[in-house]
Amino acid sequence: MAHIRIVTDSTADIPHEVRARYGIEMVPLKVHFGHEMYKDAVTINAEEFYEKLAKAKQLPTTSQPSPVEFMDVFKRLNDEQPDTQIISIHLSAALSGTYQSAVLAKNMMEEAADITIVDSKSASYGFGLIAVEAARMAEAGHSKEEILAMIERYQQERKLYFLVDTLEYLQKGGRIGKAAALFGTLLNIKPILSVDSEGEVCALDKVRGHRKALGRVLEFLRRDFAGKPVHAVIGYTSDKSATDELKEAVRTAFDLRSLEYAIIGSVIGTHVGTGVGAVFMWPADEGHA
Amino acid sequence: MNKRSLNGTQFSNIVLGGADSLHRHAEYVNSLNVFPVPDGDTGTNMNLTMTAGITEMKAKISTSIAKTAEVLSKGLLMGARGNSGVILSQLFRGFSRGVAGHDEVNSVQFAHAMQSGVDTAYKAVVKPVEGTILTVAKETAKHAVHIARRTPDLVGFMREVVAKANETLSKTQDMLPVLKQVGVVDSGGQGLVYIYEGFLSVLESEDGVFDETAAPAPVTVQVKKPAAVAPAHEAPISAQAKLHTEDIEFLYDMEFFIDRSRNGSNAKPFNEDFFRKALAKNGDSIIVIPDDDIVKVHVHSRKPGEVLDLALGYGELIQICILNMREQHREIIQGEHGEVSAMPEVFADIPAPEVSAETLLVDPPADELAPYGFIAVAMGQGIGDIFKSLGVDVVLSGGQTMNPSTQDFIDAIETISAQHIYILPNNSNIVMAAKQAAEIVERDVTVIPSKTIPQGIAAAFAFQEDEGLEVNTTAMEAAISHIISGQVTYAVRDTTLDGLDIKAGHYMGIANGKIITTTESVNDTLQQLMTKMLADGGEVVTLLTGEEAREEDTEALIAWLNEQYPDAEVEVHQGGQPIYSYIISVE
Repeated sequence: MAHIRIVTDSTADIPHEVRARYGIEMVPLKVHFGHEMYKDAVTINAEEFYEKLAKAKQLPTTSQPSPVEFMDVFKRLNDEQPDTQIISIHLSAALSGTYQSAVLAKNMMEEAADITIVDSKSASYGFGLIAVEAARMAEAGHSKEEILAMIERYQQERKLYFLVDTLEYLQKGGRIGKAAALFGTLLNIKPILSVDSEGEVCALDKVRGHRKALGRVLEFLRRDFAGKPVHAVIGYTSDKSATDELKEAVRTAFDLRSLEYAIIGSVIGTHVGTGVGAVFMWPADEGHA
Repeated sequence: MNKRSLNGTQFSNIVLGGADSLHRHAEYVNSLNVFPVPDGDTGTNMNLTMTAGITEMKAKISTSIAKTAEVLSKGLLMGARGNSGVILSQLFRGFSRGVAGHDEVNSVQFAHAMQSGVDTAYKAVVKPVEGTILTVAKETAKHAVHIARRTPDLVGFMREVVAKANETLSKTQDMLPVLKQVGVVDSGGQGLVYIYEGFLSVLESEDGVFDETAAPAPVTVQVKKPAAVAPAHEAPISAQAKLHTEDIEFLYDMEFFIDRSRNGSNAKPFNEDFFRKALAKNGDSIIVIPDDDIVKVHVHSRKPGEVLDLALGYGELIQICILNMREQHREIIQGEHGEVSAMPEVFADIPAPEVSAETLLVDPPADELAPYGFIAVAMGQGIGDIFKSLGVDVVLSGGQTMNPSTQDFIDAIETISAQHIYILPNNSNIVMAAKQAAEIVERDVTVIPSKTIPQGIAAAFAFQEDEGLEVNTTAMEAAISHIISGQVTYAVRDTTLDGLDIKAGHYMGIANGKIITTTESVNDTLQQLMTKMLADGGEVVTLLTGEEAREEDTEALIAWLNEQYPDAEVEVHQGGQPIYSYIISVE
């Protein structure tokens, strides 16, 4: 039976222990505060990042891994065990060059290797959960084809909604996508943001007022998952307690099989800012873990 | 002098007379506002509409009445501002159709053209309200048609027209209870009467030529400003509009006719000015209409005996009717609840834009047609900026006594290259001019009938670029109905309305077009208004502070709201609007 390894990048925001548990390889993106460079989730963790962000006079910038960094990982996995099938799952290509970099790395490989690069068309735990599920299936002995089929299904079924304090970070980082029309509105508006099927940030709706925004997120989730058993992950950036209301609402409104927290890491954090609340939800029915 | 026909040149002269008469009384017409808010502008709007009409007409006077009336009509249509202005333009549009094909008309044809004007105007108004300019026009035209055949002399004909118009005007109070409550006649109707009177004065003159230099000076009306300004003055605004619930100063509503033919040689010559002044000593809401041997008199007086004695000196009194208004008033207040907002004219609940309608282009017209374009009417830099930030292409701005004209809207429409254009008038008195523009231009334009700034903001906010026309129109109209609009301003005169005693200079809190509280302190007014607006809950409160808002008052309000309504999210923006120190929305 072929040996399958899962590779992802740091923006999947998979907690370190989970990665270690399933042997998921992670290639970090980088965050730059002026001239200081940090490797996401390696030389700077999320908590440290938000502390720095609050004090930073200039917004940080981010950069994707070089193809060589991916190649090094692919080579290592291949060397450890020849005939390894590698599934490399990455941040939406519409949001980052990371996927491109991984594809280049694959093409630059001199030795023969079975590598599949996947554009998750999602961000943060929105694809982190896919990587974890893929690793779980690999461990359980599923084939590459089965795993890729699962990924495709997940891409359609997983839902991701998030609320930001301000659209400024998305706008400055150029990741505002289809929500661009909302930027610059003088009124304090709360867009209900998501990452659409093309992997772009989009605003599904916009409301005024935090409470209404929460209400709309729940409405969307109900539309997707009412009455179905689900897994949910609550994502947060600088302030976990700011998502308490969201967590409680999700807990009471859904048939939850699991509810976890995930802190959104420094690279995604650079682009969404502080005070973010996100819900990642996916069905817990048969065929899913 | 006997005139039996009117050609284009003669018609242009009577129109100039009408425009002049209206011009001179514009301020007085402004003062006939039901709400004691400092933005009564019916007179200004009608005057500007008329001015646009005669400017066009003067450039192309023809000896044919059909041609003269046509250019006049076009000028009026484009220059129409405010609901009364739009109705006025429609009256003349119909009139122009009525005289089409004629070089000159006689009284019968003139009367039918008037009727044609009425028919056109009624069709143009979605929900015609009786007791307004429409009624005055309708009754007058009906009477004109009735008498035209036996009154071939145009001077006599026009005298009848003026008499009937005045008579109908005085009845507007009975048709719209709120007019009676406040003690005014309908402002638009009054404007029309002045136009007819101007027609008559030119017809009555020797040569039938309007003489600009001979025209008397405009009638000026003082409007009280808050606090600092002088005590109540008696004329003409307070003389027209004062009615207190419990303390009605002029208790007796009197109406009668003086028949001067029946008092033989004993009768003194009738001096209208003197008579009016004498009535004003103890009365208000004075209407005196001398018509040949009959003088119609209407007055609210505290001394009916003295009025009758005075009138007896001029002739025999007939059809005497005296009512106790306190009694009437109680009935009005009980009977009339919440119906006020049906009136188009008197509810200019937001001050109109600044004097020169200035167009602010946000984006240059794109080469490719964008799917949607937006025009919003707003005053105040801050409010304009909010609209622009919501994607509005053109913000039509103006001053407190000017509504944008149909032409202003058309100009704005032409600067936008979009497949479809939405207009947010944000004022009930601007909706009609916007709709008229939408009809005239050969573009795809939808007017979302927003009547307040908060409604306009809610509508613009509800818009979704990637949705279709129908979805967006529905969403925006729904957004309008979901929002509660509030305003704080000051009263310009004493009055009683909706059971509230309103004192000049005091603050008034207005919620959804209805005055719900009035106090001397802006803080109390704000708190009482907010209590009312938040009675059924409310998640987001947006305060738009006006030019006259003071920071400490705003801060006090925010602190109070946070304490009283901890669940409501309060957002403050500098609106910069004149007149209204606060514009508030609750959603």
